[in-house]
Amino acid sequence: MTVELLIILTLVLGLVSYFMGRFNKVYGAVVTIIASMFVFISVGYMANDILDGSTFNYNAVKYLPVFATFTVSYLGIFFAILVTFVFAMVSFFNPFFVEKYKYPAVYNMLYIFSLAGVLGVFFTDNLMVLFFFFEFVVWSGLFIIPLGKSKKAAVSYYAFSTAGSFALLYAIFIMRDVAGTYNLYAGLASVSGTTQGTYVMILLSISAFSKLGAFPLHTWLPAAHGNAPHPFSPVLSGALVKLGAFVAILALVKLAPVGDLQSVFGSYTDATFLYASQYAVAILGAMTIVFGTLMAIRQDDAKKLLAYSSVSNGGYILVALSIGGSVGLAGGLYHIIAHALASAAAFLAIGAVSRVTGTSKMSELGGMIHKMPITYMVYLIAIISMAGIPPMGGFISKWLIFQAVIDNGLILIAVAVFFGSIGSFLYVFRPLAALFLGQELPQHKDKAKIPPFFMLLPMIILSLLIVYTGVFPNYILGFINDVMAELGVDALVIGKYTIQGPNGVLHPTLVASVFGVGVLIAFIIFIVLKKSRKVGLMDTYTAGNFIYTEELMHYSLDFYAPIERLYEKYINITEDFYKKLENKVVDFGRMVKYFFFTNKPEVTVFWIVVIIGFLLWGDL
Amino acid sequence: MVDMLLMILAGVGVALFGFVLQTSIAGVNRKIVGRIQKRYGPKWYQEFLDIFKLLSKRSVTHGWIFDFGVIMALGGIIGTAMFMPITSSLMAFPGYDNFFIFVYLIAVGMLGMAMSASGSGNPLASIGVMRALTTMLAYEVPFMIVVLTIIKLTGTSSLSELGILQQAGGDFNWFVIALPLGGIVAVISLMGMLGKKPFVTYIAPAEIASGPMVEYGGKQLGMLFIMHEITVFIEVSLFVHLFLGGAENILFFIIKYFAVYTALNIMSSVYGRLKIDQVVLFFYKWPLILAVTQAFIAIYLGWVI
Amino acid sequence: MLSTKFSPMSKEEVDRKWWEIGDFFRRNSLWMLMYCTGCCAIELPPAMTSAYDMERLGMGPMATPRQADVLLVTGYLSLKTLRRLIYTYEQMSEPKYVVGFGSCTINGGIYHDSHAVINQLNKYVPVDVFVAGCMPNTESVMNGFIDLMDLIKNKKANGWKDYHERNDWYKANQKAALGEVKIHDEFHE
Repeated sequence: MTVELLIILTLVLGLVSYFMGRFNKVYGAVVTIIASMFVFISVGYMANDILDGSTFNYNAVKYLPVFATFTVSYLGIFFAILVTFVFAMVSFFNPFFVEKYKYPAVYNMLYIFSLAGVLGVFFTDNLMVLFFFFEFVVWSGLFIIPLGKSKKAAVSYYAFSTAGSFALLYAIFIMRDVAGTYNLYAGLASVSGTTQGTYVMILLSISAFSKLGAFPLHTWLPAAHGNAPHPFSPVLSGALVKLGAFVAILALVKLAPVGDLQSVFGSYTDATFLYASQYAVAILGAMTIVFGTLMAIRQDDAKKLLAYSSVSNGGYILVALSIGGSVGLAGGLYHIIAHALASAAAFLAIGAVSRVTGTSKMSELGGMIHKMPITYMVYLIAIISMAGIPPMGGFISKWLIFQAVIDNGLILIAVAVFFGSIGSFLYVFRPLAALFLGQELPQHKDKAKIPPFFMLLPMIILSLLIVYTGVFPNYILGFINDVMAELGVDALVIGKYTIQGPNGVLHPTLVASVFGVGVLIAFIIFIVLKKSRKVGLMDTYTAGNFIYTEELMHYSLDFYAPIERLYEKYINITEDFYKKLENKVVDFGRMVKYFFFTNKPEVTVFWIVVIIGFLLWGDL
Repeated sequence: MVDMLLMILAGVGVALFGFVLQTSIAGVNRKIVGRIQKRYGPKWYQEFLDIFKLLSKRSVTHGWIFDFGVIMALGGIIGTAMFMPITSSLMAFPGYDNFFIFVYLIAVGMLGMAMSASGSGNPLASIGVMRALTTMLAYEVPFMIVVLTIIKLTGTSSLSELGILQQAGGDFNWFVIALPLGGIVAVISLMGMLGKKPFVTYIAPAEIASGPMVEYGGKQLGMLFIMHEITVFIEVSLFVHLFLGGAENILFFIIKYFAVYTALNIMSSVYGRLKIDQVVLFFYKWPLILAVTQAFIAIYLGWVI
Repeated sequence: MLSTKFSPMSKEEVDRKWWEIGDFFRRNSLWMLMYCTGCCAIELPPAMTSAYDMERLGMGPMATPRQADVLLVTGYLSLKTLRRLIYTYEQMSEPKYVVGFGSCTINGGIYHDSHAVINQLNKYVPVDVFVAGCMPNTESVMNGFIDLMDLIKNKKANGWKDYHERNDWYKANQKAALGEVKIHDEFHE
């Protein structure tokens, strides 16, 4: 099967799911499972063939117009297999949520369409086709997001995505201008290192930032992720945001960095410097980390909290990619995997809770662990990975990123990176404490129950993979080495079980097994001692007072109040900026309307004629 | 395979050594603090008595997560301690004593304890956990910046190699002297890590009924005490290896360890307690400025004593 | 003639041995929960601080009943606080001990004819040691603690077992003093 055929088939399956959805909501949703599993398995076969060195031509184009060319590269496969996997896992949730949408059939169709769009972006080597599929994904998302809680979120998603798309389009025009062809690789190669290359890098970075939700283009992401339908949030966060990372790799790795600081400052000190463009992106990435962390700490909605954590993790990806080098790039690519898996699993767990309780606000939930223990374990494993604690995948990537940051002596960026890393303990713990642990609130006691098997299945698979990526990362790192070889970066040094960084060796398997030994010892100590007496959750120390209301004994609102107080005055700066910008745009629109679209049609026609005449001036 | 088993056994030995060492030294320190307060003080082995007493009692449990969190906490900390080198050549897993393993593997234990405390259903426990995490956010960043400077200067993050490097240059090559500003920051951060006054915000017996510990009694509390002792062992040992030139032999290690811990305890016993937001503000003001300054002058200007 | 053959100890004996070992730790590390509603509480600060330093006996104050071994009832108990005292006592981890301070806990002391105060504490919770006096001076408080340690050593501090065995009797006494609460919420108890 060629890439072209796969995309066409996916689109057809999307239409099938639409009509099936019109016929029966649940069957339509089942089609999304079949379609995304099918795509995932096909991409898996492709990856397998590529790794085996098979020569099957996936790139042949038969049905689409000639300019729609495809290339199966290691980079494309890397992203495609990750993203289609997330799509496939999340699709299992669709049948259970489809009842709640206004237009379930449309949801199913768009779900599959965005999958097709993603495939197109990762596999094409034609810039215009890339732009087309990029927009295709944006538009699919645009119509899915309003099916959730808020219509306004979709508008802001669209506004920022459009900014990104236009930036991408201008970058494409510049590359076309220089290279004379729409070929992606030729275009990038021809501008790399030139003045136009700088513009292309800035424009592609804007596009990547807007997709990845990086500072200062981050405000859409929490709104969209937090308000999207429950099964679409994990896709947005685990899969679609990674489009930004893909564009960022094109901008930061494929293009040579600009602004040689080493030759300027190198004579004054022994320290080595990166390029100015690398510093610029790394600083913005660092700011993204800090902003994402600070905002995530003060959210009340668990989904919004995870959305801000996606912002923060996007910052890590940017920092890693901008530093580059074998360790930085490997760390960035591994972080893409680790974050995709962890955030998909965490969003799914929250989605499973919201399905039975109808809310994802932490102040309204509590004690879900007693009825949903497996969901809790899934969330726990996901957040351990998100916080970068061994033995989960997030630790490997954070370790690599730290190595890269330290090796380049980036002090201020290190402050942000360490702050984000410790701050992530704070915010990921909050849903754990407020939503899953604590008192079991009576209003959810009867409704909560273990989710059905097909909802547990993807969550468990994701959890196992998170553990696998943390314990045996070397197979995946081997694949990442292939990707890096394709990008022209030196391979990361890996042994059978060990990873060699610039200033230390990591043996993840050993760390995990030693942790296991520790837990075993603790368990033995625990089990040989006298058995404890079981008491209820309300039988707690209350200084002798008798309390019977669960809410009074549940600490979930304003969890981090003391630290929130320190920065809540300064937190809305970017939001306020965009609000002001919005007002200005609205004012400008009113002015345009006042001058041009008056009640008299002849005035409007006059202006239209004048403007068309002005635009055609040169050619006539 | 047999090698591996022996290494793991050695690791368990290290953890046990750390527990015994820290528990004895903590007992001695209780006596020292007693003398500072013009008291006689308890027996030097009082901490052992306390822990074994707790293990012998019949406690209550608030559900499986309450127990599971305790097991995870103690397990994570034992696992972390197993990597700790005792002297610069004596350790269970040579070559894998990477600094980041300690900082992040210790977090598993913290997370387990936090989870278990919140699982008890007592709001005071959650408040205590919130304060502990917030304090962690405060002290960790300046400390990590100082360690970044050290790793960048030496090119290694292995504790034992750092120890050997410091020993090679004589006693005045210790990083607490070579990087004086960083040394100050590290001492302040270490006080935060150990929860010594003035940074003890999360164990507030009179205010939030000892915070995370509020619902524990009997064996769970005993296990958390063991966990606490091993955590202190890890943190003080980190300081000894990173800043005080490691240890040539086990005697030096014990002397340095005792000196650091006792000095911190004596300092701590004359301070009052800060509020939680004051702790955060404090750490993000002077220690962070000092740490960044130190990193800057050491990395870019190359000024190392 | 003694047999040299190894005779395995029975399960009771093993349990008894372990219990004795546990008792050694328990009596050397008594953590107190102070129920300081009466005037005898004023005797505790000198007992804890440098004048008498109870930490040398391994004793220390604790924040919550879960952690504590000894409940100190320092003086008179009004009916309102008795309910809280019983709740607190039942939350403690076993084995647990109670020390009653002053004559009020023995026979009501100077409040013996008050309508709001109970007279005999050991009708409601089992008391292991009474420290008599109004108020007892600090030396006798310390003596009381040492008595408690001796009782634990001789396995006579069995109040908590008694509370299990004669639970009906204690509960009946409590009910007679406090009456029964029909509505369980924050305002009625």
